[in-house]
Amino acid sequence: MNIVECTNVKKIYQQDKLEVRALNDVSLSIKKGDFIAIAGPSGSGKTTLLNIIGGLDVADSGRVLVDGNVLSTMSQTELATLRLRKVGFVFQAYNLILVLSALENVEFVMLLQGVPSSERRERAKAILDDVGLSDMYDRRPAELSGGQQQRVAVARAIVSNPSIVLADEPTANLDSKTGASLLEMMEHMNEKKHVTFIFSTHDKMVMNYAHRLVSLRDGQVVDDQVHER
Amino acid sequence: MYFRLGWRNIWRNPRRTLVIMTAVIIGVWSMIFLGSLMRGIADQMVRNGIATLTGHIQVHHNGYRNDPVIENSMTDPEAVETALKRSLPPDSRWSSRVRVNAIASNARHSSGVTLVGIDPQRETKISFIGGAVIQGRYMNPDSRNGIVVGKALVDKFKTKLGRKLVLMSRDTDGEIASRAFRIVGIFNAETEATEKRFVFVTLPAAQQMLKLEKGISEVSVTLSSQQEVHQVAHDLRAGLPSDKYEIHTWQELLPLVTAVLKMYDGFIYLWFLVVFIAMGFGIVNTILMAVFERIREFGLLNALGMKPGWIIREVLTESFFLLILGMLIGNSLGFLSFFALSGNGIDLSSLAAGMEYFGMSRVIYPIIQGKDVVMANLVVFILGLVVSLYPAVKAARFTPVEALAHT
Amino acid sequence: MSIDIKMAWRNIWRNPRRSILTISAIAFASLLLVFMLSWQLGSYDTMINSVLKIHTGHLQVQAEGYKDKRSIRLVVPKPTAVSAILDKTPGVAAYTFRANAFSLVSSEERTYGAMVVGIDPAREVNISTLKKVVREGSYLSEEDTNKALVGELLAKNLQVGLGDELVVLGQGRDGSIAATVVKVKGIYSSGLDEFDRSSLHITLKNFQDVYTMHGAVHELVALGKSLEDVPEIKKAVATGIEKMDKKHRLVALDWMELMPGLIQGIKIDLVGGFIFYIILIVVVAFSILNTFLMAIFERKREFGVLMAIGTTPWRLTKLLLIESAIITMVGIVSGIIAGSLVTWYFQVHGIVISGASELMKQFGIPERMYPQLSVLSVSIGSGLVLVITFLTALYPALKVRRLRPVEAMRSV
Repeated sequence: MNIVECTNVKKIYQQDKLEVRALNDVSLSIKKGDFIAIAGPSGSGKTTLLNIIGGLDVADSGRVLVDGNVLSTMSQTELATLRLRKVGFVFQAYNLILVLSALENVEFVMLLQGVPSSERRERAKAILDDVGLSDMYDRRPAELSGGQQQRVAVARAIVSNPSIVLADEPTANLDSKTGASLLEMMEHMNEKKHVTFIFSTHDKMVMNYAHRLVSLRDGQVVDDQVHER
Repeated sequence: MYFRLGWRNIWRNPRRTLVIMTAVIIGVWSMIFLGSLMRGIADQMVRNGIATLTGHIQVHHNGYRNDPVIENSMTDPEAVETALKRSLPPDSRWSSRVRVNAIASNARHSSGVTLVGIDPQRETKISFIGGAVIQGRYMNPDSRNGIVVGKALVDKFKTKLGRKLVLMSRDTDGEIASRAFRIVGIFNAETEATEKRFVFVTLPAAQQMLKLEKGISEVSVTLSSQQEVHQVAHDLRAGLPSDKYEIHTWQELLPLVTAVLKMYDGFIYLWFLVVFIAMGFGIVNTILMAVFERIREFGLLNALGMKPGWIIREVLTESFFLLILGMLIGNSLGFLSFFALSGNGIDLSSLAAGMEYFGMSRVIYPIIQGKDVVMANLVVFILGLVVSLYPAVKAARFTPVEALAHT
Repeated sequence: MSIDIKMAWRNIWRNPRRSILTISAIAFASLLLVFMLSWQLGSYDTMINSVLKIHTGHLQVQAEGYKDKRSIRLVVPKPTAVSAILDKTPGVAAYTFRANAFSLVSSEERTYGAMVVGIDPAREVNISTLKKVVREGSYLSEEDTNKALVGELLAKNLQVGLGDELVVLGQGRDGSIAATVVKVKGIYSSGLDEFDRSSLHITLKNFQDVYTMHGAVHELVALGKSLEDVPEIKKAVATGIEKMDKKHRLVALDWMELMPGLIQGIKIDLVGGFIFYIILIVVVAFSILNTFLMAIFERKREFGVLMAIGTTPWRLTKLLLIESAIITMVGIVSGIIAGSLVTWYFQVHGIVISGASELMKQFGIPERMYPQLSVLSVSIGSGLVLVITFLTALYPALKVRRLRPVEAMRSV
């Protein structure tokens, strides 16, 4: 069963007088439970593709289906709800909420979903334990290392049991060792929770972790291969 | 250079600049406009006071003001006239009056009034009565038994033009003098109290009734300019023997009005201060934001060896522009609203009784006073720069390390 | 504490300097308004009560038309019939009878016109301050015949002192000449010049004899237990007197009808005050608008992230509104506390406006003024600040809805 289906997706940015074709006729299907990397040099359209799949950005043409929803027909509020229920995001710059502690950052998503507070706390603690931060519940982002922040970000992304987690260059700000252990953790979560992970990267080491590797160049899919495990 | 830099800097974030400028504009506008309204109210009070038979200066027989009776009349008006002619500036006006308390009555009613004997021609030029007759006619000089009374008195007495009114008062012999007059004119005044209180007859008629011969109660003087009041009063006091005459300026004659003026003065300046404080918080905050946004820039300048004084001047220049622009527009709006309303005034007739309770007129004409405008602008400008010193000094103190640590 | 509120609270203190300045601006406005309104409202009560207690009372029953014409013929012929109604009306604290006649009053030296008022000395005490304002000599007693209380200014004009005789000459109810000689027993000074210059009081019995009133009076003056009771009393009395004598129609007039200038004067003062207050708050609003606006511009990226992880635009608006609400509430509450303390200090010690006491006296305001803290004076001003600040906060809070996550996250 396909959790994401992109058909002939196009996206053009207007930069001053220059037209940038960020995505030029991309079609892509992603199966549920996959652990997939979108690779390519910067400017190849990786981030745009992730944003469009996550409903943050809207394609100029083509069809995007996420878990059976046609994104192009949805309003901002509906998209927000979709992101809330079905999509988790991990960003390159962590982007945690600065004024909230690790635990509260994770809880916040469930708060948005209307999960009762006792259950919220339980689940947040459990997931932080899963990502290996069991003794850092009450630290604010400023008191955590980059790798720890990114673990919180992953915890925040998967705590609500989304259909997909989109991670845009999740390891770009981390050293290779920390990056590797983050990916191992993500892979572990992928297996344990059956969450679909889609991440973008231009790092060979990261690509090696992917079960499927889609390569983009100038807004087009140039390669798509499945790695045998 | 400072100016160009400052000017460009305030437009880096036009929305923020416009917002804080709006605060300054509304503040300055309210200072100018509400100030002019209050001045208008006060000025109208003074005018009414002066026009309601006060004038700028009055000359009486010594003791008349405390005890306004017939005995305290000036029996030698010629001497006063000579002194007046000597001391008054050429374009001033004056008129003599007989003024005593009397009882007015007709068949059904009676009430206490002030009987005023006037020289009809001279009086028109100095007090309200000349232009206030709304029914019938103003007194002519040789009218022997004509009387002009207020609208409110006519209503109260249920009388009308042509009817008789009997006046009673004590004459110089101490006897009750009584005489019937015929209503020839009805006047309208700013306040009902005035309409009920004063009745006017000719000077000779009053003198004859009260057996005053040539005697008069008071001389009222109006000057072309209020500034001269104290000088002229001083000259008159020098020219007339103080054991026989007393000379009062309107400030002394109208203590209530003088008190109101003083209170308004205080109130207007208090208002300036309060409005300033209200916008002062915004000015400080906005400049602080602007400064903190550029913390890197300032830190860099500091690292480059720029003197703190330069940075302070730079920040103050920005708030200078903010204030000057706000003041310019605020003043213009203030003057515009002033001109818009100065023609017809603000009509508060619907609250006439309340206005009267406070001694105000029914129509307010705003008045702009130079000193208020200067004061308002000085308050905003000087205090505005003073409070901007805080963010300016803050900016000058950024160290390069702090600046780079800040994102 | 819910996370929403926790977040808002922590966000506020990310930039403490700015928040404190904003809170101070709001607190300043609230403080000023609490104080000014307590003063205004407080002075109205004092003003109304002191003016009404000099002479007018809360409510009067008179013959129809007497208020304007003041004719001695327009009487309440059977005062006891009316007093029976007043006795039965709940809320009436006290009442008295009065009769008035404009007369000539002469001393040896002088003659002035004055209102001669006949009063019931025992009952008058419960209605007016007349007894308290007698500064020289003593108050009238029931049995005093041909003794009078004279206003200070009238006494001065007439050049009389205690014990001096005055000739009173007027017109009786039946048109006959009313004349009598009275001795000055007391001299009063109410502070209201007009009253002190033009009135003279004798006993009602005396008055009725001199002016051939045949037991009639001109006014029944009543005082309610409080000013708020007046409308009720008026209604009850009006229905009561309607059933009485059809030939001599009576009316019940409340203080607002008896002294229209007073209530209108208060209205003007209030309206004038509010013009100033609203302008002040608008200036404050623009002063703090920048803070609220900056709160979104600086944190665009953060909002982008919040939207990305599924926060709906409404939720963002709510978050921002909670932040501004906290700032506003902290400002208002501290303003109210500070304002109440300042007001309370002056409520205890009073304020003397130097130089203005002469002026105040004429409007019936005592020299030393006491602002009066009340639920109304505290809530009106802060309510106004609350509403206007909320409207100010609404603009940026709604503006945030126009953010799109991708662009927002791209900005720094």
